[in-house]
Amino acid sequence: MLYQDTVDTQVLVHKPWFVALIFGIVLATFLMFDLTSTSFGELMRPVIGEPAQSGFFGRFAIALVVAVAFCANVVLIGFAPLKVQVAVVWFELLLLFLAFFQSFKLSLPFILANLPYLITQGVLTTVYVSAVSLFFASLIAIIAAVAKLSSNGFAYAIASFYTSFFRGLPLLMQIYLIYLGLPQLGIVINAIPSGILALSLCIGAYMAEIFRAGILSIDRGQWEASRSMGFGFGLTMRRIILPQALPVIVPPMGNTFIAMLKDSSLVSVLGVWELTFLARTIGQPTFHHMEMLITSSLIYWILSGCLEVAQSWLERHFARSKVR
Amino acid sequence: MKKIVKVTTTAAWLAATFVASLATANAGEVLDRVLQNKTLTVAVGVDWGISSHLDENHQFVGYDIDIAKRIAEYFGAQVQFVTPAWDVITSGKWQGRWDLAMGAMTPTKARTEKFDFPATYLYGQYVVLVHKDSKATRLSDLDGKVVGVDEGTPSESYANHKLTPDWVGAKPIEYQFTPGAVKTYQVGNIALDDLRLGDGVRLDAYVADGSTAGGAIKSGYPLRQLGDPLFYVPGALAVLPGDKEFNEKIADAVKQMRDDGTLSTLANKWYGEDRSAER
Repeated sequence: MLYQDTVDTQVLVHKPWFVALIFGIVLATFLMFDLTSTSFGELMRPVIGEPAQSGFFGRFAIALVVAVAFCANVVLIGFAPLKVQVAVVWFELLLLFLAFFQSFKLSLPFILANLPYLITQGVLTTVYVSAVSLFFASLIAIIAAVAKLSSNGFAYAIASFYTSFFRGLPLLMQIYLIYLGLPQLGIVINAIPSGILALSLCIGAYMAEIFRAGILSIDRGQWEASRSMGFGFGLTMRRIILPQALPVIVPPMGNTFIAMLKDSSLVSVLGVWELTFLARTIGQPTFHHMEMLITSSLIYWILSGCLEVAQSWLERHFARSKVR
Repeated sequence: MKKIVKVTTTAAWLAATFVASLATANAGEVLDRVLQNKTLTVAVGVDWGISSHLDENHQFVGYDIDIAKRIAEYFGAQVQFVTPAWDVITSGKWQGRWDLAMGAMTPTKARTEKFDFPATYLYGQYVVLVHKDSKATRLSDLDGKVVGVDEGTPSESYANHKLTPDWVGAKPIEYQFTPGAVKTYQVGNIALDDLRLGDGVRLDAYVADGSTAGGAIKSGYPLRQLGDPLFYVPGALAVLPGDKEFNEKIADAVKQMRDDGTLSTLANKWYGEDRSAER
């Protein structure tokens, strides 16, 4: 249900037709792949005999077992309370991913030996670059959003050109332009400030649109009422419009922040030793690069997890008025 | 108020970086800068295999690194390493951010418009790698196949039949196969991983730098070298044109190393064979 209410209905996953449908889909999907040569085949050896010679029977048996297990899982989880459901599904998906990473046969000692450096050098630089860019991007965005909503043609033109330009050019090109192009004009900026500048300008353009949408979502009447009470522009914005717009802005802002955290990896082309740069290069001479790539992916995930937690905390904070 | 102070300090910091970098950009000759700051800034990579990589303590090591350190010693300067991407180095827009680029750049005619090449310090060889299960026995068996190459290296030019051997002492190039498709990779191990997946899964062959190829096979990649090395290329130190004295001094430094045997000792140490002289 989209909103939780007190109308009792049968849970979807307990309706026979739905379970049958899921069963059919999973069975058909797994029939399409020949899994007899993988560890699935080894697990099924007692039933299907030598996996390589089992042919279609082996394939069907594996798909059947997977489909039965999947449906039983879905039905059983349906009985649990909501919180348990979420926890169990998260846990299961996590296990699947770990099994996927396991298949790379990674060298754990190599990861452990390099993890501290990956964190002290890589994560620190990534977080530093992202946090500074985030601050400047927000600043730019709010100015651009207000300019785009203003009735001043000059301000509107500049702001709309800015958002169009920086949303339209690939971020990588912007980084190159700032690092290699600006020196043509006599402005030489080092790698980290170049990266921060490019990220701020690019993300600021996206966030300007988010801010604008948030401001526009507030009914025009609020603006008029506030103006008729004698509030000026700044006061109306601060006291009336922005407090109401913020709850609308928070979810897409969270999106942008998470996207930016990962976009910051593009500054690695300038030789900034952030997480992606180290991940690409540390394992290379010994051909252990998969280890580092996967480790850094997980670190990015943890970092964006922190942002997600912050976002949901903010959402709860702003939704206080909507709680019954 | 606090916020305003913060914003102002950040702005001031940014402005200071601008001004400071402007000053270095307009400073005089490269040599003056190096001698004045007692620092030689050298562009290297950390993903260039044996030539330049990080050891287990995350310090720069490799043939390029040893050479760069000795050149800096010759200048009586400290060496400082920066790690821009290869395409940023070859763009030629250094703007005083670094003084010298390692990486055994091939001194082609097109590049002499952007760079000076004071000295050759490494002769690289390019070989063709195929999967162990590959049925190819001769290089000509690769006609019409998918061949991987590294972006901006002679391997890319070779596979596209566009390698102009216009460096000093070059032998004419004989193209021994005509790929059906050329897949270009950023310098790195991804091409090796693609080839490892199996014969013809993503790649049928990969034109690799000799030392990378040797390293991969030694690390247990299921690959083998096909035929003899394709060609040898000289690798040079690169500087921006315009500072003749700096150029000459680097040439002197390398000549001294060549004369007293340091170059071949270092090459033997890192590559297991003397790659510092032409064969």
